[in-house]
Amino acid sequence: MSDKIGIYVCECGPNISSKVDIDRILEELAALEDFKDKELVVKRHKLLCSVAGKAYLEEEIKANELTHLVCAACSPRDHDSTFKEVCKKAGLNPYMYKLVNIREQCAWVISDKEKATDKAIQYIHAGMDRVLYQEPLLEKQLDSNPDVLVIGGGIAGIESALTLAGKNRLVFLVEKSAELGGKSVHFQKLLPRQGINADTINRKIKEVNKNPYIKVFTTTELNKIIGFLGNFEIVLKNNKDNSETELLAGAVVLATGYQNANPQDFKGYKYSKEDDVYTALEIEKMYKETSQISLKSGKAPQQVALVHCVGRKEVGYCSKICCNYLIKISDYLKGISSEIEIIDLYQDMCLPEKEDQEYYEKIAAKGIQSQRITAVKVAGNQLTYTGINGSETTIEPDMIILAPALVPAADNAYFAELLNIELHETGFFQEAHIKINPVSTNTDGVFVVGANRGACGISDAIIQAQAAAGKVLTQLIPGQKIIPEVMVSEILEAYCTGCKNCLDVCVFGAIYFDEERGISVVNEAICRGCGNCVGSCPSGSIRTRHFTNPQIYQEVKEALRKC
Amino acid sequence: MSKYIKLNTDRSEAIKSFLKELLENDKISSVLSLRKHKNGKVDYGLTSSVDLLDNIEPFYPYMPANAGQLMGRFTPMEKPIAAIVKPCEFRAFVEMVKREQVKRENFIVISYSCGGVYPLKINATQEIDEKLADYQQQVADQEIPAGIRSSCTGCEHINPLETDIFISVSGETDNNLKAYLRTDKAIDLIEFWHGQPEDKEFDESSLEKLLLKRKEAKEQLFAEVETKDTGLDGLIDIFGRCIGCHGCNSVCPICYCTLCDFDSFNYDYNRQILEKELEQKGALRLPPDTLFFHLGRLSHMSFSCVGCGMCSDVCPANIPVASVFKKIGEATAEMFDFVSGRSVAEEIPVMIYKEEEFPELGE
Amino acid sequence: MTEIPQKGVLLNSENGIQNSILEFLKTAAEKKVFDAIMLPMKVPSGDSFAWIMIKDMALLDNTTPLAPIMPVNAAKAVKRFTRKGEGRNKVAILIRPCEVRACVELSKLNQIKTEDLVIMSYDCPGALPMQDYIKDPEWGDSEFKKLLSDNIWNSDIVKPVCKFCDKFSLPASDLHFGRENDRLLLMANSEKGIDFISEMKLEANEELDNWKKGIGEITSKRISIKKETFSVIKNKVEGLDNLLNTFSECIGCHNCQSACPICYCRQCYFDSVVSKPNSDIVLMRAKQRGGVSLPLDKLMFHTGRMAHMSLSCISCGLCSDACPVNIPVAKIFSYVASETQKTFEYTAGESFGDALPMKEYKPEELGELGDLVNSAGIQEGDHE
Repeated sequence: MSDKIGIYVCECGPNISSKVDIDRILEELAALEDFKDKELVVKRHKLLCSVAGKAYLEEEIKANELTHLVCAACSPRDHDSTFKEVCKKAGLNPYMYKLVNIREQCAWVISDKEKATDKAIQYIHAGMDRVLYQEPLLEKQLDSNPDVLVIGGGIAGIESALTLAGKNRLVFLVEKSAELGGKSVHFQKLLPRQGINADTINRKIKEVNKNPYIKVFTTTELNKIIGFLGNFEIVLKNNKDNSETELLAGAVVLATGYQNANPQDFKGYKYSKEDDVYTALEIEKMYKETSQISLKSGKAPQQVALVHCVGRKEVGYCSKICCNYLIKISDYLKGISSEIEIIDLYQDMCLPEKEDQEYYEKIAAKGIQSQRITAVKVAGNQLTYTGINGSETTIEPDMIILAPALVPAADNAYFAELLNIELHETGFFQEAHIKINPVSTNTDGVFVVGANRGACGISDAIIQAQAAAGKVLTQLIPGQKIIPEVMVSEILEAYCTGCKNCLDVCVFGAIYFDEERGISVVNEAICRGCGNCVGSCPSGSIRTRHFTNPQIYQEVKEALRKC
Repeated sequence: MSKYIKLNTDRSEAIKSFLKELLENDKISSVLSLRKHKNGKVDYGLTSSVDLLDNIEPFYPYMPANAGQLMGRFTPMEKPIAAIVKPCEFRAFVEMVKREQVKRENFIVISYSCGGVYPLKINATQEIDEKLADYQQQVADQEIPAGIRSSCTGCEHINPLETDIFISVSGETDNNLKAYLRTDKAIDLIEFWHGQPEDKEFDESSLEKLLLKRKEAKEQLFAEVETKDTGLDGLIDIFGRCIGCHGCNSVCPICYCTLCDFDSFNYDYNRQILEKELEQKGALRLPPDTLFFHLGRLSHMSFSCVGCGMCSDVCPANIPVASVFKKIGEATAEMFDFVSGRSVAEEIPVMIYKEEEFPELGE
Repeated sequence: MTEIPQKGVLLNSENGIQNSILEFLKTAAEKKVFDAIMLPMKVPSGDSFAWIMIKDMALLDNTTPLAPIMPVNAAKAVKRFTRKGEGRNKVAILIRPCEVRACVELSKLNQIKTEDLVIMSYDCPGALPMQDYIKDPEWGDSEFKKLLSDNIWNSDIVKPVCKFCDKFSLPASDLHFGRENDRLLLMANSEKGIDFISEMKLEANEELDNWKKGIGEITSKRISIKKETFSVIKNKVEGLDNLLNTFSECIGCHNCQSACPICYCRQCYFDSVVSKPNSDIVLMRAKQRGGVSLPLDKLMFHTGRMAHMSLSCISCGLCSDACPVNIPVAKIFSYVASETQKTFEYTAGESFGDALPMKEYKPEELGELGDLVNSAGIQEGDHE
């Protein structure tokens, strides 16, 4: 079958037609010296992207049995896919077409009509040269996988799993420790209404275990993952027996939580195991397990100092939940004995939610000495604080309870690398946009919820989990098909010597190394066709389909000819 | 019947003016030949400007590349290129035509009875220029000039019958042009010579004196690579110094494979395989397959060898590759009544299937 | 930088350096410190050497541990052995410092695996040009013997690159044979080396200060020679005209690329389809200036090769040895490599731990180029 090239110049209303001489374009293109032995169809149309325009183009392709198509119109960002669809409907492989931009690149930027026309002709000629070297590419359809991998069995992960799981969607809930629940299982009561934890968190855990659409993997971690939204290949590893499980999922919700900073990492905090200096979480655990808050000697404390903002200056942010939970702990203490003297030292007080102020006043009324300070030092059971008037006071309370900063979990960097998502400068995960896209990440299909994206409490964790679930539900519809990129790279295996330059520069993890043959291979389902690998191969043994060297060369050579 | 043109002008000048006319009259797109630059260096080039044709040196005794290899890479064109090349280069071109690498119509070929070329190390500098007068004299006297490539000393194929135009140089007492137009294509261009054509064939016997000397030299070259015994020991004696650079196959005009089999995966051994060899034999030469490469190349292309000697010239280890390949090439080709580069119509032996062949081997 | 060992083992060198090393290796073979060893052996015709991996240790007597010439860079030989697959033999190699540096670079390019490889090196007196040796092997053997026995470090007969080599001692190998006049000092340069010496039941008690001092003095002299050589070659190649002139003899045989240990591509980019354009493109180029040299792009092959491998060039000089038209490829590439490596603060072959600049992403890099752009007056958004 001989080549038949159709070239359609769009007037784009007056946008193009008033700025370039379309008649001359048609005339000169039809008379091109190097196309004189090829069949050309050269026409114009008022508005190719309109309903009528698209119908016209489809009819033209069919009637003229075109083998190649060049549209001279607007920017590919506007209508590349529009005309690709027309090709498909007309039975022409959509990769045998080229959209040449003579609007943004000629009509709209060159005032001299003659010059604009010259340039338009040159660009269209270049596009014609390129299109002759293009090859038909077959798009494949993969079933989009609706299942979700949730990493982290704390409250954020639990809520994500419960919201997402359903008849057409499995959730794989992966937890590295032996139990679900994260840190919130250790709380006796929850704010703000002092609900008993067993009724809330524990109830949720029971629901998870009962739910037939949630598969729970404890003592398990994420070992490998490659892919993209709708198509992730996952390997989990059990950290007790080292067994591996392979899974497929369509989205990943990362709910890996936070860790409490060690107060002794900050300047001014020095104490030993023998001292009655505790972190708030230690007190919560003690209270939940024993219903008591006692000193190391076993006695009840009579004077307790609560220290807010431990490490806040160093980490550079407020940890949001500590003021509230220290009030709750004050309430625990007052419940043990109304005589306990509570000295509450804060550098700033943070009570943001609608019931927090009321709660604070209620508990404070039971007798808490809240005081604003500017600095504090803890040396064993001795506490020295600086008031806002600058005066220093040293006290030796029976018990000191510290509220340390909430800091990123140790494995944040590991997950960032594994999932190809970014870390904020604080080390928490970076959301796609802090205001308008707060649970998505820069990688499609990967979401971050809970305290791994910044200090937050249980309510926030639940809100975010539900938000991410919402995103997943709209982006991953069961039964939906995904079309992986066809303009992907391929490595010519006869020439590869396995130096792994391409593997090292691939940001999508789309190249793997075949040990047996000692060569690198592109995983076409993952490749996004960015072309980094092409540039990194010194022997030129990698090519990206639809952007091969001959194709680019032909277009550039013609476009620069008169230079 | 060839047409014969004789001019009383220096043959270089005559050719230059002929080519200029061809170019001016749009009969060719360009000229492929040796050219000399202002700094004295000589290289092969494609000249498309009439003025720059003044710089060509068609008979210069130097071969930086076998022009047949350069010609063998041209894809079909509208207008032919005129190429003035040495006989072995033309023969290599013919072999490439047979292998579908280039179309015969792409070129109007001028060749001549070549006196040999100087080795690459001498370089296209003053050294060759200084020797030029003596060289030309010796060619006229049909003596073998001293110091030329060893493969040239033994070359007997200096009258390629299928070139379009053949210039007689060897044994000619003056430097005037004596051209034989052998093909219709060449005869069509007679007018551009500005001379009176005669019907005349080239007298092959005029080369006899030189060919006798060349044959002797060839026997000598073959004797130098004769091994004491048949078998690997002898071959290792010759090829033992090989460093596996594959320069020989790089410059060989017949070796046209995009990726030589010996550079490909097929010879990229897994360590287990090499260790097995090591354990069985007690020792293993690395890199492996130095000799195997030569045996392979011999079996793949030796019968098409044109004896140009580029391989020996580029060999960093001074291995007489050309003599070996020519010797074995001629012997193998003889078995098939084949002469490399003799005629486009003469098929490559390995591409012909005959039901009955070499019955003596069966016996 | 490799850690300089503190003390060495003084080996018996009564019968000359070559014999001492051979005896040492034989003992090591008997003690089965390694299963196989790669050493140079003279080829049957007696005028060159080849790398032989030996398992049958009776063959050790046929080897010449320190060969007068370097026809093949050992890294290339080792690469063929270790690139693909797992082995079951512990292998030792005794090679020149530049060959060790080539091994370091190739290991970063995933072409050489060093897991069960013990790399030994020695203070190298240089290598003779291969062609000179082939023409007169007897002369070559006796001259090289003198280099070793008379402790010559300013020889005129060694390869041009050897004359300015300042890295002739203690590369990133596991074991190193130091030469202090006629004393032979064995030193461990890594954990593997320490294990080797203890398996040999030897103790490192010998002071190395004198040896270090001697090496230091020779190195300083070589650095001056290098500076001089580079300034001469710089004048020869600086500017397009000079570059074209220097490479005008090139016939495009690509021997330099084939002999180079760093050039690991199965098919060089410059041998791929880009070197075989359609006729219309060749003719178009001929028309541009009235003529074009064939084969095309001989100079671009060299500048392209510089761009691809100069960051790993270890100045072994095999390229010049292989060049049929005597272009001083090694000097030119060594000079360019010293500049490109300086730009990335990288020294090829120095340490297995230094990442290849090509494989490392740094968000902030080469800030000075940004300044160049600014000073050229190019502003963002400039168009016609």
